[in-house]
Amino acid sequence: MDAVRRNASEIRDLDPVTFEVLRSHFDFCCERMSKVLQKTAFSPILSDILDYSNAVYDADIRLVSQSPGCPIHMAAMHFAAQESVNKYGKESLRPGDVVVLNDPFQGGTHIPDTTFTMPIFSDEKLLGFAVSRGHWQDLGGGAAGGQSFGTHIAGEGLRIPPLKLFNEYEMNQDLLALIKNNTRCPEYIEGDIQAHMGALKVAEQEFSRGVARYGLETVEIAMRELIAYTNRISRSRIEAIPDGEYAVTDFVDTDGFSEEPIKLAVKIVVEGEKMTVDFTGSDPQCVGAINSPLANTFSATYLALRFYLCPEAPANAGLFDAVDIVLPDDCWLNAKWPAPTIGCTTVTAAKINSSIWLAMSQAMPQDATGGTMSDVNWLVCAVTDPETRRQTVFSDLPAGGWGGMNDMDGASVRFDPTGNCMNLSAEVAELCYPIVYEAFDLRQDSAGPGTHRGGLGARLQFRFNGNAELSIETSRTLAGSPGVEGGQESRAQRLCKLLPDGSAEVIGGLADDGAWHNPLLAAYRFAPGEAFRIETGGGGGWGDPMARPVEQVLDDVLDDYISVEEARTSYGVVIDPEERAVDLAATETLRGERRAA
Amino acid sequence: MWHVGIDVGGTFTDLFAANGESGETISAKVLTTAGDRSVGVLNALEAAAIAPAEISVLVHGTTTATNALVERSYPPVAMVTTEGFRDVIEIGRQRRQHLFALRQKRPTPIVPRRLRFTLGCRLSAAGEDLSPFDDEEARQVARQIRERGAQSIAICFINAYVDGRHEARMRDILLEEYPDCHVALSSETVRKFREHGRFSTTVVRAALLPVMTSYFNRLAAGLGDNGFSGSLLALKSNGGMMGVDLAIERPEELVESGPAGGVAYARYLSQTTEFSNIIHTDMGGTTFDASIVDHGEGLLTHDYQLEWEVPITIPMLDIRSVGAGGGSIAWVDKGGSLRVGPQSAGSDPGPACYDRGGAEATVTDANFVLGRLDATLGGKLTLDVDAAERAVSRIADRLGIDRLEAAEAIISITCENMAQAIKLVLTDRGRDPRDFVLASFGGAGPMHACQIARAMNIPRIVVPAHAGVASAFGATAMDIRHDLEEFYYAPVNEADFDRLNQMYAGLERQGRALLARDGIADAGMMLSRHAQMRYVGQFWEVLTPLGDGQLSADRAQELAEAFHNAHEAEHGVKSPTFPSEFVSIGVTAAGAFARPTIHGAEADAAAEVERGTRPVYFGGSWHDVAIYAGERLYPGVAITGPAIVEYDHSETVLPPGTQASVDRGGNLLIALDGAA
Repeated sequence: MDAVRRNASEIRDLDPVTFEVLRSHFDFCCERMSKVLQKTAFSPILSDILDYSNAVYDADIRLVSQSPGCPIHMAAMHFAAQESVNKYGKESLRPGDVVVLNDPFQGGTHIPDTTFTMPIFSDEKLLGFAVSRGHWQDLGGGAAGGQSFGTHIAGEGLRIPPLKLFNEYEMNQDLLALIKNNTRCPEYIEGDIQAHMGALKVAEQEFSRGVARYGLETVEIAMRELIAYTNRISRSRIEAIPDGEYAVTDFVDTDGFSEEPIKLAVKIVVEGEKMTVDFTGSDPQCVGAINSPLANTFSATYLALRFYLCPEAPANAGLFDAVDIVLPDDCWLNAKWPAPTIGCTTVTAAKINSSIWLAMSQAMPQDATGGTMSDVNWLVCAVTDPETRRQTVFSDLPAGGWGGMNDMDGASVRFDPTGNCMNLSAEVAELCYPIVYEAFDLRQDSAGPGTHRGGLGARLQFRFNGNAELSIETSRTLAGSPGVEGGQESRAQRLCKLLPDGSAEVIGGLADDGAWHNPLLAAYRFAPGEAFRIETGGGGGWGDPMARPVEQVLDDVLDDYISVEEARTSYGVVIDPEERAVDLAATETLRGERRAA
Repeated sequence: MWHVGIDVGGTFTDLFAANGESGETISAKVLTTAGDRSVGVLNALEAAAIAPAEISVLVHGTTTATNALVERSYPPVAMVTTEGFRDVIEIGRQRRQHLFALRQKRPTPIVPRRLRFTLGCRLSAAGEDLSPFDDEEARQVARQIRERGAQSIAICFINAYVDGRHEARMRDILLEEYPDCHVALSSETVRKFREHGRFSTTVVRAALLPVMTSYFNRLAAGLGDNGFSGSLLALKSNGGMMGVDLAIERPEELVESGPAGGVAYARYLSQTTEFSNIIHTDMGGTTFDASIVDHGEGLLTHDYQLEWEVPITIPMLDIRSVGAGGGSIAWVDKGGSLRVGPQSAGSDPGPACYDRGGAEATVTDANFVLGRLDATLGGKLTLDVDAAERAVSRIADRLGIDRLEAAEAIISITCENMAQAIKLVLTDRGRDPRDFVLASFGGAGPMHACQIARAMNIPRIVVPAHAGVASAFGATAMDIRHDLEEFYYAPVNEADFDRLNQMYAGLERQGRALLARDGIADAGMMLSRHAQMRYVGQFWEVLTPLGDGQLSADRAQELAEAFHNAHEAEHGVKSPTFPSEFVSIGVTAAGAFARPTIHGAEADAAAEVERGTRPVYFGGSWHDVAIYAGERLYPGVAITGPAIVEYDHSETVLPPGTQASVDRGGNLLIALDGAA
């Protein structure tokens, strides 16, 4: 109560009504930007899969508000905006200038994430910036979507330094021609640019509405106060955590070349209302394409902490100010040119998020959660129509399970916390691409057992009518998602090739004979009639599975979430499949033996 | 004979009726009968002293369908789908509702996994058999379903939007094995692609079939036993109505049946006043709804979600809701900011001033502290002023401001929250608020209408004459309306226009047949064509109105133009050099229903319209404010704010800086000083 009263008096320059109004005004502005981008974009990965984010910044390029889109873009975008503005200088930018960039080493993350930055003026005065970032379908490189998994950034596509794509609303046609020459999908480019521009113009409109109604000075104060507000909430949450160190070590299965897993070490240090996230001890820069530039590592860290520290506050720079991040200089999480980085927003960001959640599960045990599947399984596929010979490119991101918590089972097939993308619709896919989409359903027994089990993973399978090349970034193929508080690990992920005769071959992850196959596939070839299948991982369990109520285990069996066999081996529950009922006596005996053992 | 509108809500059943011969009107409000809601309908007729035999038309809106879905209270439903797609309705689109919440649960699937069965038959996107239908396999599934006791079955196969033959065969076998079951086919429910929306809508239909069949049969029997022999019609989610025998076949069209009546009222206002563009708003105890009547027609959406990732992809009125109402609770968050809602005290315990155990400050308490509410709520309840003041003071203390300042802040923030819902629907759909008038319905709506309008820069407000029974009144002002759609996918410049002409003609035939079922004569049928179109390569479509007449390649340019303009209206941008394509085509078939003329209030200069004054707090000071009796107002009366107009079921607050007058229809028209 006292803390609240003290905090309340800190919103000193605005009355509570105006503060609340402008807070929703900025949120609304970003939501409208996203709506325009989604509904008018041409790349399916933008319009249907929703891999984009939109945000507004103050004149010092501090994040004020961001649309609910793709969290991994959250804190990475201001690095891009800063590089864009520094290149031309604040004073030389004019209304309608738009700077584009995707360079991972100048504020970008991986090549496909393309960022547009536009200054916003009120009359002559610079008010702030509108920024729109989207994942473009393809910008060249050695494999569709840039997923070549080589050893050099040059193999991942066209690397665009900060360049003006629009001069006072006029498009730079030379730059457009260059971009269109360097993609497998030139037909998407102009439509996508138009969609980003539409989003930026919406921000201009909304800012001028705000200024017209509340005045320039009030809008500027509100931007500052919003950041301070999120900062206060974050600091008060940190203060409530017992001082101490919370450390976790996790691994990515491979960078595509390494024999050994790549290590991620993170230590969260809490002292009063200060938090430091230290990645010291993580492996040096690696050969393969999972290296993460600083902007991406920072972003993944902030987004992971946001779930614990300030989920309900505006996503803005107030959180960034409350947390220090320590990164070793030579580190795969602090990548430098010419490191390949294509997997950083997916494999690496998800791993950073998952590690931080496991550390926070120690720091805030009431919110402990079993491991998420912690990957986004981003696949890109180029397939040639056998009749027209035309090649088309499509993407999908089949999700896995989230972890169990103290009061609930984990969610099944839910997108990784680092993003919030839709799956590809089977009927849309079959209409647009020469494939047959054969399955996207729940994968039985994939969840980590627990008093509250993890969520289930999925089975995704499609068959090619023409020649195809498939690239995918995935991990968690050596082991599944870990459990917490006595919960168990989930089933690991697996990639398979299915031949027309029905036989299957494991092409990524652990095969039945125990052999392990590199799960980073670059332009892996499929012949007509062959199919690709991915079995995604479940979430880790929470608490001892032997304590899961018998009737819940029976329900899981009746719904085929788990098999009769899994009920017996993981939960000690004996079920008669004919009667669809629990054998209580046998269950008591079995659970008794387990507890004794 | 009487033309009767009835709205069965969660708490009250409202009635409005007009007599075709005498021009007499009557309204009534009775409690909704929770066990069997059809009883409440009969009670309302009794309260209004209308004999069922004297009714020519009874139009009826109901939340029965919505409630059954939200509470998952319907007989067990099964689903038969394509192998590999058993979990489409459970996985949804794999997204989460709240971006940064650790704990969030999906809605319970409408059909549990144990009742979802799969078959190996499979059509390609071109409608060819990739794997043929196997009668024996289907028969086994049908028997299993019967054994498990499901009463209604949704049949949902991949690519059935192209050809429904596998689904139809499955239905034949089900009905052979299990003659009493209800069956819904995805190819008949939504003939469009995207399996998640189509399956979800079909499952909703299957769940509602037994519920609504039973409900309407009970209602028809109850009315029939009392001599009713008129037309019985139901309000649809698309803002039109249909005969009850058709509603039994298409119950998924009833999900927004309740709010549809209010929107119909707004549409009626657009026809009987000078305003053709109206924002319909409705504020109750916990939620605030906003939707648009644009050039006399309610705006529709194809993106409706019942719950998170539970879509119903048929055309429905685009109604946006926010959690703001009279019961919304004010609180101070951890960052020290004043917030209102979405938590609501509801009617139990209710606001602190109801003195029923509620201690938290609600919007109603803030209004009461400011003197804007009558202390007896029109004689229904005595409000506790001390309780309201204590509750609001607690908020004020936390913010370090005084009680009256806090109360005004609570009202302002609520109004801003409500303005957000209006902004969403307006700007999402590319409309400018300054082109609209705000119409305010619902018990708590007219108290805040002026402030909401000011927040949105909307210069004019209308409080309709029958705001207290708005949905029931609206029900008497509706047309029959059917929206028919069919999948057709081709770029405009490669379209097969002969085929398109045939398809449109086919949809129009269907439309005419449906209208004829509800007794619309040929001369009264209005058919219009539209198409879902997009730029080649885009994923989302825009509803594009198309003109009449035979289509041909010569008209391709004209069709493309129509699409560019529709795209610009929806999204604010267009790309005239980009090629466009069709995704589906549609026909709207409407038929006007004869309805009695409703007379406005007569001028009665003898009536005393003022009933005294009371102190009310506005903008930092107390004002001595005139109180008007709403029922006694007559055309031509002019009121200058600050003032309060009290009606039976609602109250209109006119802050300083407003001018109001009563029009010929008894509606209160309000203008804001200095608004654009």
